Amino acid sequence: MYHYDELDQGLIEQRVAQFRGQTRRFLDGRLSEDDFRTLRLQNGLYIQRHSPMLRVAIPYGMLASYQLRKLAEISRRWDKGYGHFTTRQNIQFNWPKLEDVPDILAELATVQMHAIQTSGNCIRNTTTDHLAGVAADEVINPLIWCEIIRQWSVLHPEFAFLPRKFKIAVSGAATDRAAVGVHDIGLQAMEQEGEVGFRVWVGGGLGRTPLVGHSIKPFVRWQDLLTYLQAVLRIYNLHGRRDNKYKARIKILVKDLTPAVFAQEVETLWQRIKDGPDTITQAQLQRIAHLFTWPEYEALEDEHAGVPATSNRAFARWLRSNVHKHKQPGYAAVSVSLKATGPAPGDITAEQMECVAELADRYSFGELRVSHEQNLVLADVRQRDLFALWQALDGSGLATPNIGLLTNIVSCPGGDYCSLANAASIPVARAIQQQFDDLDYLHDIGPLDLNISGCMNACSHHHIGHIGILGVDKNGQEWYQVTLGGRQNGANQGRVGRVGAGGALLGRVIGPAFARAQIPEVVQKLVTTYLQLRDSENEHFIDVVERLGIESFKQAVYAKHAEPDDQKAKEMAHA
Amino acid sequence: MPESAASKLIRNGQLEDNPWRLYQPDPAAGCALPPDTPGWMIELSSWKELLHAQPGRKCPVGIVMPSDGDCSDLMLDAEALHARKDVAFIAIQFLQYGDGRGYSLAWMLRQEYGWSGELRAVGDVLIDTVHYLARCGFTSFVMKPGHDPALALESLRAFSGHYQPGYANSVA
Repeated sequence: MYHYDELDQGLIEQRVAQFRGQTRRFLDGRLSEDDFRTLRLQNGLYIQRHSPMLRVAIPYGMLASYQLRKLAEISRRWDKGYGHFTTRQNIQFNWPKLEDVPDILAELATVQMHAIQTSGNCIRNTTTDHLAGVAADEVINPLIWCEIIRQWSVLHPEFAFLPRKFKIAVSGAATDRAAVGVHDIGLQAMEQEGEVGFRVWVGGGLGRTPLVGHSIKPFVRWQDLLTYLQAVLRIYNLHGRRDNKYKARIKILVKDLTPAVFAQEVETLWQRIKDGPDTITQAQLQRIAHLFTWPEYEALEDEHAGVPATSNRAFARWLRSNVHKHKQPGYAAVSVSLKATGPAPGDITAEQMECVAELADRYSFGELRVSHEQNLVLADVRQRDLFALWQALDGSGLATPNIGLLTNIVSCPGGDYCSLANAASIPVARAIQQQFDDLDYLHDIGPLDLNISGCMNACSHHHIGHIGILGVDKNGQEWYQVTLGGRQNGANQGRVGRVGAGGALLGRVIGPAFARAQIPEVVQKLVTTYLQLRDSENEHFIDVVERLGIESFKQAVYAKHAEPDDQKAKEMAHA
Repeated sequence: MPESAASKLIRNGQLEDNPWRLYQPDPAAGCALPPDTPGWMIELSSWKELLHAQPGRKCPVGIVMPSDGDCSDLMLDAEALHARKDVAFIAIQFLQYGDGRGYSLAWMLRQEYGWSGELRAVGDVLIDTVHYLARCGFTSFVMKPGHDPALALESLRAFSGHYQPGYANSVA
């Protein structure tokens, strides 16, 4: 975990003072609505359906227990006692008052937190793998590099007013859990001839024009990372479209120029600034690395979770889905599911925040992470503590054994909260979770990503869900379009050696949209079809879609007289 | 830029009276260039005329570039431009403060083109943007109406440090 030095702390305190002044001028009528809009957005403040919404940055998803307690306190004092984790590893409060926001930001600053650049047309929070630093399949630990990018991007004077928002993701593992293929810039940390560097993807993104990014540079040495980013951003800042906000993302520029021409322009510019003042030196790298603390692991051996697992089916199920391999013998990483049936996906109450903070202190070195799938992760748990941890989580409704499974739904706040949305998403997620509430059945279905976005801005990344659901508006009514075959990683064309980054695929629309009430049944038909078609339990949903295409699924969903025998399929799955 | 220019300007970290106003060429009357009197800013079209006319001009002008302009629009290299005595400053005109191109243009004028003279921000310049502008190389600022130059002067020092070593605050 990174700890602020004086410069970091000074900057966020001065930012609070600056925003306090801006808010006062706005409330006094000395700053116009138009002038204030961009300024407040760059401090994470939206004006939403019910009230302002404040989005607080959680840099690359890393959070300390004392920070989570502060978030709980803020949610009680200025909100309605809960918060919502987002797909950018941030947290949102949906009910603060505008005039209170400077005080909230001041409170956040006391625990090294802020809301800088969590919205607006600027470089947003850099995201990474929620298992960074602990994953068994990690090649390079991306956390220090994420911090270097964070510092570089925060209050960057040249890139504060880009044509549109700009998102960077970093992965350092063989499996890309950061979805680098669908970011404005995706970075895969890797080693080449003993030297650390990055493969660079540009121009991925979802939203109205979903596109998978292009690899424009096979290897940038770590010293050159920031000057290379500077070159990409400058080309984008100068040439990205500003006449149409729907064509303003870098992906459109890359597409219009062609990736090869874009790469060449970046290269030409970069050659002029390479080795300039933003080159990373060994001394700077050391300075930032020294501000990180790392867990001091005990020398342990891997152990089987033992007797409780064999005698307790619920614990065994949780072990299977919510516990992940750790690089350190005797340890495991644990996902805390925020996807129980009922609350909105990603929502967490103040009590739950305090519970997780306490468990992080007791079992995971006082640290945790937010995943881009809107769950929390206790990354450094001794395997021998798993049973006790499970019991504690279960007691707070945080042990739903569904990580990686169908009911681990990624969802935006949707039309119930968001003024951009065309349709509700939370009630749809809840209806699907209710449809699949049989945990044995859920586990038999196996890995399945399901994402629901309430509009084509695609905050929930529905294009890369194995099943994606998009709310659309038709003549004032809510309809839902279904896509199939999307994935955030793992597609073969993105593979470079053993590294799979950039292997994202976009789902294909299966046909006409459905009414809200039909959606659980549609998902059921897709799942039933999969269970009938899979060659074994090892062939996952997405594998079957890739092997057979979407036709069989389409037929099952749209056939008028088909009689998919769901009960029979369930029995087959159990067999 | 309204013809009646804002009355104050921030220059080298201080408030000054602002005598500068934009010259409106009148081609019908055959007037492409302002008279040889103090305080005229001219757009690039007039600058092209000035390059070849009025060799003995006594009163320097400010050249106003649009935020989507390019260093090559100046048609001289920086050394030649510095050598001319008839250029007081280069200004970049912001039609909207959120037009980030002006920031990259300023950086390029400083770091690549090599302009070391005065660089002025005009147009939609806010109390809240001067800090970023100064770090991209601007040294003088004419505020948009409603934005108090005295407050803007304070806001130049809103942040005592910064991360990006390549962007030192050129004023504070």
